[in-house]
Amino acid sequence: MNGAPVSNPRARSERAGSALRAFHEEGAIGKAYDARLLRRLWPWVRPHVSFIVVSLTTLLIIAVINLLRPLLLGDVVRQAGARDSTRLWRDGSGLALILVVTQALTYVQMYTMQVAGARAMADLRGGIFDFFQKLRLRYYDRTPVGRLVTRATNDVDALSELFASGALNAMGDVVALVGIVVVMIALDWRLSLVSFLALPVVGAIVNYVRKRSRAAYRDVRARTARLNAFLNEQVNGIAVVQAFVRERAMSAEFDAINLEYRDANKRAIYYEAVLDAAIEMVSTLCIASILWFAGLRRVADHRITFALLVTFTQYIRQFFEPVSLLSQRYTLLQSAMSGAERIFQLLDEKDVAPAALPPEACSPAGPPDEAIALEHVDFEYKPGVPVLRDVGLVARDGERIALVGATGAGKTTVASLLLRLYEPQGGIVRVLGRDVRSYDPRALRRLFSVVPQDVFLFSGTVLSNIAIADDTPDRARAEEALRRIGALDLFRRRGGEVDALDAPVEERGQNFSAGERQLLAFARAIYRAAPLLVLDEATASVDSDTEARLQRALEEAIRGRTALVIAHRLSTIRAADRIVVFHKGRVVETGTHDDLVEHGGVYAKLYRMQYAHEQAVLAERRAHAHELQSDSM
Amino acid sequence: MTTQRSVAASVKEGESATTVTAEPAPAPTRAPSTELRYPTTLRGQFRRHAPQYVAGTLTLAAFQLAMNRIDWQSKAAIDEVFGADPSRAWRPAATILVLALGAFVARVASRWYVFNAGRDAEYELRFELLRKLHQLGAAFYRKMPAGEIMSRSTSDLQQVRMLLGFGVLNVVNVCFAFASALQIMLGVSGKLTVACLLNLPLVTVISRAVSRRMYFRMRENQAALGRMSDVLQANLAGVRVVRSFALEERERARFESANREYLRASLALARLRGSFAPTIGSVAAIGILVFFWYGSALLLRGAAHGGLTQGAFFAFWSAFARMTWPMIAIGFALSVVQRGRAGFVRLRDVFDALPEVVDGARRAPKHVGGSLCVENLSFAYGDRRVLDGVRLKVAPGESLAVVGRTGAGKTTLAMLLARLLPTPERTVRIDGIDVCELPLASLRSAIGYAQQDAFLFSTTVARNIGFALEDPDSPASQERIRVVAREAQMLDEALSLPDGFDTVVGERGVQLSGGQKQRIALARALAWEPKILILDDPLSAVDAKTEAAILDAIERQAARRTVILVTHRVAAAARCDRVIVLDEGRVVEQGTHDELVQSGGIYAAFAEEQRMARELEELDASDAGDRLAVQGAAAS
Repeated sequence: MNGAPVSNPRARSERAGSALRAFHEEGAIGKAYDARLLRRLWPWVRPHVSFIVVSLTTLLIIAVINLLRPLLLGDVVRQAGARDSTRLWRDGSGLALILVVTQALTYVQMYTMQVAGARAMADLRGGIFDFFQKLRLRYYDRTPVGRLVTRATNDVDALSELFASGALNAMGDVVALVGIVVVMIALDWRLSLVSFLALPVVGAIVNYVRKRSRAAYRDVRARTARLNAFLNEQVNGIAVVQAFVRERAMSAEFDAINLEYRDANKRAIYYEAVLDAAIEMVSTLCIASILWFAGLRRVADHRITFALLVTFTQYIRQFFEPVSLLSQRYTLLQSAMSGAERIFQLLDEKDVAPAALPPEACSPAGPPDEAIALEHVDFEYKPGVPVLRDVGLVARDGERIALVGATGAGKTTVASLLLRLYEPQGGIVRVLGRDVRSYDPRALRRLFSVVPQDVFLFSGTVLSNIAIADDTPDRARAEEALRRIGALDLFRRRGGEVDALDAPVEERGQNFSAGERQLLAFARAIYRAAPLLVLDEATASVDSDTEARLQRALEEAIRGRTALVIAHRLSTIRAADRIVVFHKGRVVETGTHDDLVEHGGVYAKLYRMQYAHEQAVLAERRAHAHELQSDSM
Repeated sequence: MTTQRSVAASVKEGESATTVTAEPAPAPTRAPSTELRYPTTLRGQFRRHAPQYVAGTLTLAAFQLAMNRIDWQSKAAIDEVFGADPSRAWRPAATILVLALGAFVARVASRWYVFNAGRDAEYELRFELLRKLHQLGAAFYRKMPAGEIMSRSTSDLQQVRMLLGFGVLNVVNVCFAFASALQIMLGVSGKLTVACLLNLPLVTVISRAVSRRMYFRMRENQAALGRMSDVLQANLAGVRVVRSFALEERERARFESANREYLRASLALARLRGSFAPTIGSVAAIGILVFFWYGSALLLRGAAHGGLTQGAFFAFWSAFARMTWPMIAIGFALSVVQRGRAGFVRLRDVFDALPEVVDGARRAPKHVGGSLCVENLSFAYGDRRVLDGVRLKVAPGESLAVVGRTGAGKTTLAMLLARLLPTPERTVRIDGIDVCELPLASLRSAIGYAQQDAFLFSTTVARNIGFALEDPDSPASQERIRVVAREAQMLDEALSLPDGFDTVVGERGVQLSGGQKQRIALARALAWEPKILILDDPLSAVDAKTEAAILDAIERQAARRTVILVTHRVAAAARCDRVIVLDEGRVVEQGTHDELVQSGGIYAAFAEEQRMARELEELDASDAGDRLAVQGAAAS
């Protein structure tokens, strides 16, 4: 046997099973009330607190009015008994007024609460968004984007249920319940006592059901998450499932989750049905027992009137309304709290990007004509895996530097360090003679035009993507940028009916080809007119027409600027003033093309490799063309 | 009895009738992948759960009957209380107690039966949905994106469940509730009933209108939420661009406008939701007012003069109160029914989709030799032709490398062999049999295809590796998992993970590197042991040293089975018995590694390029740096 011993299979399978369960149900359980979380929520709610005050005040008014309603109903009946029709009409109108006013107030109460909640949540989302912009780039290297999106969307929505569900209305319910009890006792304490006989029963039922239904709802939530995750994975991994002929096994696994989900739901259904029906039953029992008792008492005491019975019945009905909502509100509260927990956990993340350092903490300025400089720079993304080692590099004003090297030699990292997207572990990075740490990061980045290898387009128009940083894009300048790179005709043709600049760009520019995206990135760089250009040449193969256009665009973009080009094409490399060769994170050679080829080092090898590749492609293309020719003959 | 029923069922399901004889149906020889276990039509589901619906209907009837009796008894009780002998009120009151208990049981039972029928239907439809998804091929998944499939299997299925549970319950309940309450109201006073109910249809109309608008507002709300998450998603996915171009302010403005739009949408929904209860309440209040005015007037007139007794007044009030909720609920239930049907239509898009690859008619062969023959295989995705007249032969136990640049058609070829794409008939033969004639399960078990992108499931490392094993937790499987993990150079790393082989991988578990994922995927393929193993670019993300070790393992595999290795690496191809080179969908070169290197074609160029890359890799950076330093010193 090799390595660690294989333990008892059942224990193993249980261990794996519990690990999986813990994994899937993590975060499903939460407290319903957490003072710490509510305190952290307060700063977001405070600006809108006036709405909450209005809402809660209205809530109290409604509770009081509702308390008067049964009295009025009784009075209507009493006036009928007294055969006084004018007072009957007056009471009737009063009753109508009260009903309409309560309904109007209910609307005000609910809406103001929602306004407060929704606005606070919008602010919180804005806050989360701002926080995302502050996180260091390396945080994104290790966190899936989907999870971050969930924080600002689903979790905030769960939290907003705190306001939308009327969980805070429970306060009004308490006032109403106490009020009802007090008024009933004042009206007839003996009849009240009989009605309240049922209260312990209600308490027992609610208590019995609440615990179980809470557990059932918690299960439902955990199972829902697991069910959807499993299904989603099946859809995304369908090719693997089919290739490995695991349809039946996966179906069986899914069946187990599906069954658990169904049964958890059935439990929730059962408890909910029991609670609803029990409360209705108890309410009926209460009414029945006061009828019974009233019958007993009326034998001796004729003060028990029909009006009193009507009033009591109405009070009893009103008493049980909020009780049936209790358990629902509780689960919503629970999920609101777990949403809050996850949000604040994110906001506690300490890995935020540093701001500008004071000048005295920075390294001294470089020579006046220096555009870009790296001195003894060491860098690693992951501890123990160095990417740049003791790198030194200088570009003077107006110089064009080509960075050359195999994939993974560290070229792109140089560009990231210049923009201070990452911080080097050692060494100095200077831009326009100043330590990059002395700049406000955004001011630093405005000095650069960047043409990345993999162009990212935002949904919008061609214009909004060229004038990417402008709120009010300059059409003439954008058109001029396209003309200068010789792509205006291409985009005009592409645009068809609409103007070239107004052609829509879909999400991530998926309706543009790789070559077109590159061209847009060049236009973007020219439009931006920043003094420094960082260009990461694309390796993707494009057709020869696009190739020629890209070549011209590149020359235009470089013209008149200090340029750092991470180059792949021979023609680009040859056009550079100086070539810096990277190998395994170090700068190993610098010089012109001819010098370096003659030197016979890394560059010479790279050059021959590239040359061999290009030759093979050309030969193959020629052969294929020849074949087509002979086919057609 | 059971066999008879299953035979009858299979006839109904459209199985060929000729197999039905007096003797028990023969055991199916192939996977019953096309037979349905549960009905996938609304009608079929109704029929299947008919007993539950009948029980639900009966208990609802019992419940409403009990409520009706309670109201009559309370009339009697009140009349006794204010009659000649108030102490006699105990009899109706005691009857109410008993009736209330009965109503409780009936009410719980009715919900239990009907809502559970809805949940059962949901469960069954979801089961069939996944089975259907398992059968469908690449063409379907290209047409319907994953998000769309998920939305159908969650929200649309939920609408269907609401129809089969909540919808059914409320439609049935409202009928009984009406009968139950009207019987009392009409019994008390026809005129009062008409007066009170005049505005009730308005309640239904309003609740129906509001619930329909609510649905649209909810969808608008969802759409606004979707747009906001799109903006956020783009911002986070493009975080590099945002930082590089200092676009934070512009992005903030974009997000803020989406955020405000969502706020507007959710407040619009809140307004509608908030206005619903007051509107209904006001309308219902009119009825209550009418009742108290007119009812009090009748009460005032007294029973002797065509008016009401106090008991009748009370019973009417109680019955009338019971009618308000069903009037509201019916409005909702009608919308639920409508949405459920619409949701079902969308589900049908999945249920009715035809799998492009289906079982062949032949029985599974008892023994697979492992020879493969491809003749004149052409394939196109729409207009884009990917393969063009490919021919190749692989003998049992032989290993073949398929080499070519990205986009040359290597993966398509590999997938067509195991019919993971619709393979044209009579182009691919295994042991001389057209693959289209074989049952899919047996074909795919014989030709194992391990795909290019290492898709792992969010389960433990051990279960990912043992994915193809029937019982991954058995000691034998555990041993096998370790062995293949070692073969794929994954054993040490797997053991060093937080929970070793029991570590859960994926989004919320441990994030693995690309190389680790690829090696786990390779181990998964090695644990499988099909007769013909196709490895599609299994080494793209591993370093050169690991690659060599893995190639040794693959070589050991090749001694036992036919191996087809799709790769762009010459070092890997060199280990195979034979090599074919694909370019633009054609086989342009074939032969042994040595032959192809000597012939000086594309393969030779690949070999040369990769030889130099390796040389470069072996060149030590610090040595080169020293030389540079010397050179620099000489220059100055």
